[in-house]
This record gives sequence, C-alpha cells and structure tokens, in this order.
Amino acid sequence: MSGDDYRFGRYVPAEQVPPAPKRVTDQVVQRFEHVFEVDPERMTRFQQQKMPTWDTRRIVAARWDHLDAVHREFADEVLLAGEGPDPGPESTQDEGKGANE
Amino acid sequence: MSDKQVTQAAARSEATTTTDPEPTPSTSGDDTTPGRAPDDHGPRGSNGDDRAVDLAMPHLGQIEQAFVERWHENATGCFSSGHKFCREVCPVTQVTRNENHTPTAFHANVIGLEKGHLSVEDVADDYVHCTQCGGCEVRCPNTLMVGDFYRARTETVKVVRAMRAMLVDKGLDREKWKVWNRLTDELKNEPVLGVEGEQPNGQAQVRDWAAGLDIPIGGDTIMFVDCEAAYYRTSVPRATAQILRKAGVEFGLMNEQWCCGGPAAEMGYVEQSMRFARHNVDDWRRSGVKRIIAIEPHDYVHFTEDYPAYFGDEFDFEVVQIIDLVAELIRDGRLELVKPIERVATYHDPCRLNKRKGIHEAPREILRAIPGLEFRDVDRVTQWSYCSGGGGGLPIEKPEITAEISRRRLEKASELDVDLLVSACVWSERPLTAAGDEAGIEVRDIIELVAESAGIEVGGRTRA
Repeated sequence: MSGDDYRFGRYVPAEQVPPAPKRVTDQVVQRFEHVFEVDPERMTRFQQQKMPTWDTRRIVAARWDHLDAVHREFADEVLLAGEGPDPGPESTQDEGKGANE
Repeated sequence: MSDKQVTQAAARSEATTTTDPEPTPSTSGDDTTPGRAPDDHGPRGSNGDDRAVDLAMPHLGQIEQAFVERWHENATGCFSSGHKFCREVCPVTQVTRNENHTPTAFHANVIGLEKGHLSVEDVADDYVHCTQCGGCEVRCPNTLMVGDFYRARTETVKVVRAMRAMLVDKGLDREKWKVWNRLTDELKNEPVLGVEGEQPNGQAQVRDWAAGLDIPIGGDTIMFVDCEAAYYRTSVPRATAQILRKAGVEFGLMNEQWCCGGPAAEMGYVEQSMRFARHNVDDWRRSGVKRIIAIEPHDYVHFTEDYPAYFGDEFDFEVVQIIDLVAELIRDGRLELVKPIERVATYHDPCRLNKRKGIHEAPREILRAIPGLEFRDVDRVTQWSYCSGGGGGLPIEKPEITAEISRRRLEKASELDVDLLVSACVWSERPLTAAGDEAGIEVRDIIELVAESAGIEVGGRTRA
C-alpha cells in the first residue's frame, strides 16, 4: 500500500474505520495490504492510539516518499529485501582505506 | 477551578476521548483512562492488574496533572529516543534557532513538568512558537518508520494545542490571541480585516464575496468558505464558485456560516471551537447537507480531525478538499483549461495539505494541465521543511517570525528563477504575498490560476 490508490482529499467517515485485523504471526496482525502491525494485545505499557484509516495510509505513503527521496539523494543502487544477498564488489582484494577515492 | 475552567477542561477531555471511530481490538486502547497515573519507570497497570501504582504528583495542580497524564507517553516516546530529526524541518526553529522552540522541547517540557523541574508559566511563551504544520510529526522516525506498526505516532501538534488549552484554563493565554478569539466569538467569524475599530467582517457580510453570483443556500453539497477567503482574499471563493458552476457541480452556501472553529482550537480555546463546530453541524443538518467542499486546507483538517473527535459517529458528512475535486474535474474533461498562462511558476506545498494530509499529487496534476505554464517543481519531501508561517496563530502573536519564514520560502522560490509562486492555502498567501512583493515574485492561489485558464472573469480581490 503506497497510498497511490487512496484519495487523501476525500474524507468519508465510514471509510475511516480500519478493517478488522487478521493474524499473521503470533506477534503480528495486518489490516491493510503490506502494512503490518504489532499484536494490539502486546501493547500493554505503551498505549496504542486511535488511528483512522487516512492516517495509517498517510504514514505509509510518507515513508515511501521519504525513502525514495533518500535513495535519490544518497544511493548508487537500491536493493530490495528478498532479492538475495549482496554479491559485493567484483574485486576480492582488500584495497584498503581510500581505495575508492 | 472556575466554572469557565471546568468547561474548558471538560471540553478538552471530550475532544480527546472520541478520536477513534474504530472498535479497538485491544483492551488497552483507550488513551484517556480515568485516573491512570503516569509512570516512566515501571509497569503502568493498564490492564487493571495489581501492578498499578498511584503516582499522583502533589507538586502539580489538577489541570497540570491531567495534562501530564494525557501526554506522558507521547512525550516519553520523543524524549527517550531523542532523534531530533524534527528540528531541521521545523520552520520556527529554522528562524529562531532556540532549543526551547523545538518540537523536542515541547515534549521534554511534559517530562519536566512531571518531574517538578519547571512550571507552566516558565514555558508558556515557548508554545506560541509553532505553526502546527506537522513537519516534525511526519519526519519523526517514531511516526515515519514505526507509527503504523505500533499504531502510535508522535503527536506534537496535539501536545502544543493541549498546552495552549491549559494556558487558557490557567488564564495564561497570550494577549493577542485573547483579543482575536474574543472578537471571533462576537463576530462569529475571525477578525481577518483587523482587530482595531469597526471592520466589515461580521455575519452581515459573510456572503458579500458572492455578490452577483446568485449561489443558492443549502442543498446536498455546500461550499464552506474560510474566514480569510470570505473577507480578505475574496478572489479565491469567487474563482472556486465559478469553476464549480462551469463544470456543472451543484452546490450551495450555508444558511448561517460561522468560523469553522479551527483557529480557536489551534490557539487553545477548545470550548469556543466546539461551540462553533456545533453551530455549523446543526446548520448543515437543518439544510439537508450531505457533503462539504472545503476550499481551504485548515478547514479540511478541522472537519476531518476535530469535528469527528467532537461529535463521534454523529459526524457522518463527506468532506471534499477542493484541490482533489478540481483535479478530478480537469481529468474527466468537465473543466477545460483553454487560456494559456505564460508564466514560470513553482508550487508551495501548503503544510496542511502536504504534511498533514498527504495531498500533493492533485495540485501538481492541476498545474501541469494549465497551458503555457512552465512548472518548476520542488518535491514534496523537501517541502516538509518549508512553510509560510501563516498557521497555528503564529502571525497573530509573532508576526515577525511569520514574515521571516515567508521571506525564506520566497528565497527558495527565487533560486528556481520563477516569476510566480502558486499556493493552495489562502492563509499562506497573505504572508507569502508580502514576502513576494520584496522578492519580485507574484503569489497566486492555484484556483485563481485555474479560473483564469478556464476563461473566467473572477472578480473579488487578492489583498486588502
């Protein structure tokens, strides 16, 4: 859920009630696709907040926006989880500090 | 506590207990459990078990105790992690460079109060230094990286508003805010044309902006016109109304429109905010309204966050932000933009659209649809650190800071070598226009541009 399919400029009260959580593991539940949530029963000291649908979607969309911006600014290459281990540089020699300068 | 204080405190309590429309599956979901004592060391006993500990703070009065209990956790989340990414996106901190004005300080003060290290009087003025833009909240890793996972995010704007409400309760509210809200209470709309002398901005003039447009009253859909738009920048509601009419959107105006109450809530006058909200909702109900078109971002935030908190399930109105609607009208071919606007422009992401509500695609879609316009963009993430300084009551109490924030925003625009800065928030446009006069860059509202490109003679005015 990147937020691309959600219209932040339309507020319909009935749509603000998040879907009922589905259990994913013994510690994690899920209400929206690709959005995982700690099992609310485990939040016994730090209280969960009352978070309408638009706010969850806004946070997720902002995270993707921010990560994209960071990648554009700083990354030569972006590896996604699940794409396998980083093969590392072609050279196997330790060329020491400053070798890339 | 005086009767007024009881009313204000009760209003604030009510406003914070009904914020969730969802049935929480957890037994620990209620964020205002009566009598819950804060404890920053041990278990909180939130399940009602025998770990509950009475940690009443005798050095605090009743009002302060309630404030600290309510915000202990959010403050601890900030204070204990100490990322401070919020500092450099805070438009006020960028100007004052005063640590007491940082979002981190606003949370740390809650801990300081709890520990008896400071008093409300010590920090009262610090909490004026906030536009409630929400940049700190969205940039905070506790929100951005894990807020959805824990269903708990940093709520600095609410902390600031709660502190301001407490200042009102304790009679420590700022003088200019006091005058502003007293006049708002008398006029039923904000005194945007000035607080001195007689100004034509009472109820008798609330629909003057619509002169000659023959807009009906009531109906299924109404257009809510913000105070600044209704009395100051009247070109914006006039442009909006004529665009909607040209596109075949049926709408009316309120029978008796009062201020939305949002600014009062932002400055801490919660009881007044709730009273105004009650009036407006009752007016909508009497007119058979189902849908509200919010032409101004602050109103959209207030209608979609505060009104649901005030009224719970009773608030069943659909709220549409005008930028979203106009983008749709253009996309669907219901509104044709035919007249070229040969300007070089950039876009100012209004805080309450971009940071607070995630609305940034629609305005860009609109600008790219205007023929002749050369649009030089600054991405929305970079603009988390931009602001006009026009929100949260800052220009009323600290106009010099607002002016400097706007000056810096125009400085950013001038780096793009543009001759036009386009905004979508009428409250931002007054300080930005003043700064634009100095920078040699015109400031216009996006809806004004759309109307011009649609061949509409708007009328009204863009400044006093």
